[in-house]
Amino acid sequence: MFKNYLITAWRNIIKNGMFSVINIAGLALGLMSCILIMLFVREETGFDKWLPDSERIVRMHSAYYVSGNPPFETVRSAGNMMEAIRDYASNEVEEGVRLIHFGATVRKQESALAEQITLVDGSFFNVFDLPFVHGSAQTSFTKPYDLIITEDIAIKYFGKTDVVGEIMTVCCVGPEPSPVPVTGVIKNLPDETHLELGMLAYVDPKIIENNAGLNTWTSVNVYTYFKMRVGTSIQQLQERITYWVNNESPLLDMYLKNVGELAPGAQISDNMKHKLMQLEDLHLKAKQDAGNMGDLTPMGDHNLIVTFTIVACLILLIACINFMNLSTARVSHRAREVAMRKVLGASRSQVVVQFLSEAIALVFISMILALILVELVLPLYNLALGRQLELALFTDLSLIASLLVIGLLIGLGAGIYPAMFLSRFLPADLLRSSKGGESSTASNLRTGLVVVQFATSIALVVCTAVIYGQTLYAQSVDVGYVSDDKLVLNVRAAGDNRDRLKHELLKLPEINSVVFSSEVPTQDNENNNTFTLIDGEHVNGENPSVLLNYHDIGYDFFEAYGVKPIAGRLFSLDFGSDMIQFEGRKEGDKGRANVILNQTAIDKYGFTSAQQAIGKTLDTNMANGHLMTIVGVVPDIYFRSIKFGVRATVYSMNPNRLRVASLSFNTSNVSQLMEKVEQVWKTNVPMQPINLQFLDQMMKAQYAEENIQVKMFSAFSMLAIVIACLGLYGLAAYTTERRTREIGIRKVMGANIKDIVALLVWQFSKPVLMANLIAWPVSVYLMLTWLESFSYRINSLWLLPVCFTVGLALLLLAWITVGGNAAHVAKANPIKALRRD
Amino acid sequence: MLKLHNLSRIYRTDDVETVALNNVNIEIGQGEFVAIMGPSGCGKSTLLNLIGMLDSPSDGQYYFNDEQISGYSEKQLAVIRKHHIGFIFQNFNLIEELTVAENIELALLYHNIPASERKEKVDEVMDMVGIAHRAKHMPSQLSGGQQQRVAVARAVVGNQGLILADEPTGNLDSTHGHEVMEMLRTLNDKGTTIVMVTHSPAHADFANRTINLFDGKVVTESVRAA
Repeated sequence: MFKNYLITAWRNIIKNGMFSVINIAGLALGLMSCILIMLFVREETGFDKWLPDSERIVRMHSAYYVSGNPPFETVRSAGNMMEAIRDYASNEVEEGVRLIHFGATVRKQESALAEQITLVDGSFFNVFDLPFVHGSAQTSFTKPYDLIITEDIAIKYFGKTDVVGEIMTVCCVGPEPSPVPVTGVIKNLPDETHLELGMLAYVDPKIIENNAGLNTWTSVNVYTYFKMRVGTSIQQLQERITYWVNNESPLLDMYLKNVGELAPGAQISDNMKHKLMQLEDLHLKAKQDAGNMGDLTPMGDHNLIVTFTIVACLILLIACINFMNLSTARVSHRAREVAMRKVLGASRSQVVVQFLSEAIALVFISMILALILVELVLPLYNLALGRQLELALFTDLSLIASLLVIGLLIGLGAGIYPAMFLSRFLPADLLRSSKGGESSTASNLRTGLVVVQFATSIALVVCTAVIYGQTLYAQSVDVGYVSDDKLVLNVRAAGDNRDRLKHELLKLPEINSVVFSSEVPTQDNENNNTFTLIDGEHVNGENPSVLLNYHDIGYDFFEAYGVKPIAGRLFSLDFGSDMIQFEGRKEGDKGRANVILNQTAIDKYGFTSAQQAIGKTLDTNMANGHLMTIVGVVPDIYFRSIKFGVRATVYSMNPNRLRVASLSFNTSNVSQLMEKVEQVWKTNVPMQPINLQFLDQMMKAQYAEENIQVKMFSAFSMLAIVIACLGLYGLAAYTTERRTREIGIRKVMGANIKDIVALLVWQFSKPVLMANLIAWPVSVYLMLTWLESFSYRINSLWLLPVCFTVGLALLLLAWITVGGNAAHVAKANPIKALRRD
Repeated sequence: MLKLHNLSRIYRTDDVETVALNNVNIEIGQGEFVAIMGPSGCGKSTLLNLIGMLDSPSDGQYYFNDEQISGYSEKQLAVIRKHHIGFIFQNFNLIEELTVAENIELALLYHNIPASERKEKVDEVMDMVGIAHRAKHMPSQLSGGQQQRVAVARAVVGNQGLILADEPTGNLDSTHGHEVMEMLRTLNDKGTTIVMVTHSPAHADFANRTINLFDGKVVTESVRAA
């Protein structure tokens, strides 16, 4: 029996070539989109689940809220927190560990390479049970600076993995470049992890004790992880930590001393939050807690995953609608067969099973085609996403199971309506009616489904257009400085040779200027401190204490970036006293220095004009306490991506923090310039790796994620339209075929080709127009909500012309799709049409 | 074999009610060859559809082998159809996607007969109707007469005791029409009950009883002398 079903199905596929191609191609494209998105989603949702006990590991994030200031949020926490909480919540916490990442230099023969070293507590392997290749958690981490490396690092430096006992010269685990013994080698970590670990060093507790940035309750410089005891929930531990913060920790005293009173009824845990997040959630959800101080590895986006899953479902829905529409439209061609099967004794359920089997068979043919398409486009897809996704069809059982389930569900979903529809008629009805059961209900349903298809496609295209527009807008907004023709050179390793390096670089004819700073645009860190306005009348009664973001810059920084003061002056050697001074101060004395503020900072203090701020003094505990005179005000510039907006910022001159050089150049031969800069670097900073980048590339990288999203949205929206148009073409072809007699009669009555084409085109314009009415409000609502997350966004009025244009474009596309076929039929000799019928 | 008692069939649309059959009383015994005649629209095909359980009566009783089947479900009727009734239509109603042999075999598929036995039976009836040399052809490759032979083969392959033929010669020329009628007579001679709708008095003469319908009612019945 089943063979008979398959034979009939196969011959029907062959016989109805065009409809079969449309059905299979549409479904294959839909499935291809779905599989591509599924591969992406599977990888994104699989992060860190491979780690043993991953469900018991949590990370602590910090968020500080000070009235009148933007929230300070980060995935890091203060150095003292881990031990305090581990000891306090010992019933809930099995173990804790801190990770401190820093850039180091590792000698390799006569050269030096930049590496990231992670200092960790000795408890690291009690939390993260990573497999060893050589050594073990018990023997490899026993004393400070014991070094455990991954297989890749071992091979990179020694050409083999059995390197326990070998020495690596590392700068600067200790105070000086030092030989460090390798005590263990762990397996390389899979790609699906947020942990970026190449070299792990056992942190000397003295380092933490002696380092102000680590021995602290508020400065957030470490990543803190806890492994919870079996049976403890994240909520239980969270409650315990909140209780500790409010009742046992020193945080309240520190807040009262440094910031001020809490709001009435508030607790310190409201202002200083310490939030736990499950390890398995980090990749997709850590960003929401990250503020501008996130993880070192690129993290995922939970909302993006949800969005693309919805997009995948919508595309599949469009493809399934094609399938249902074309199947029910072909009812008249199958009616006789169904009738005869029933006449010969087939029950309704047998007819249903037959048509469902056909649908499922068709879906699996499409699935095979889709898998071939996925293999073909995967390299391109990976290139666009910057991933290494694989279709492990023969090894990944869960993937195979997912595809089988998807295939079955689509087959059942798309086939059930045609199956029920065809099987419900009495045989006599089917034999009597030349239409084979075609009814206005079926026709209306098809029209309704076309409306759903096009509404979905239009909404997808509108959303894509808005996302594209917003991304372009964000990248085209005037950032307030000149970013062209600049190289960024990390000069931290140059140390005392920094000025000599600058001198030598300036000798290159291609270099116009070399200016130092703590960061360059795109490298924004969350450096915040409170600055209190101490002299002059308090402006407009505003709070004189403001939390300002601070950057340190060298002389000529603003000049090099084309930023002009709107009041006062820029830093200049002519005034001698701009720089922060560390030398020659008595104990307890405050230093004196000059600062420049941006416009937003001026507004925060309530100055009515930039000029009003000039000469005023700010008191801060920065650099061991300083009184800083405002000597200039500059316009707001976007030190970070436009999506984060502009913060109130103070620019100071701390010579100890000038770690980056901006090189303005005047040549188009950039490769030669880079070679020359590298040569100067090697000469002046020997045995240190160079870190040189183009500023404009760094700026583009800020929007890499958005650009990928736009690419994905565009590609999948286009596919959705192609699939919908395929379906529309099939339906139009079917309709014109069915109306051949009517067209013949109309032509006999005097209708010309234009009339006939207009008649058919109008029939399909109606659902597309109706789809616009549904899609516009839905997409406008969705996009307005989405745009709200951006500080600077395109004018929402643009949504209307976007909707109109997309709607019109889709209507034109529908006309072209339907019109070609209609014109062909309209040109036919009417007598032929009448005779055929 | 079958008995229709006050059987009526009324078709209703929103505004119009059409009485296709009106209180029809007919009895047909085992082994009879009955022709049903009448002008177009008199209800002949409706009557045949009701007898074949392809349609449900609006009123009245229908006894098949002494069983009242008027209230039977679609599933129960399907079971009776596949075991007892074979159909032959004017337009053959062969499934275009299946070959000659597969079309005939279709009638056996729903009987759960093993494949080898099915093949044997199909070969047998193809020989009987003289279509074996066309076994692998598609219906569209056959002449009308050949298609109707296939339809006859399909109707008898399951050893059905009742053949319902709805103008079986309506689409055939006289030669092929005559061939088909001869086949039906042969079947009847072997004991198969045949009920045939026809416009042709000549073909009605093959039957041993003729029922004339007019406006949905039986107006006359005539029995051919032996």
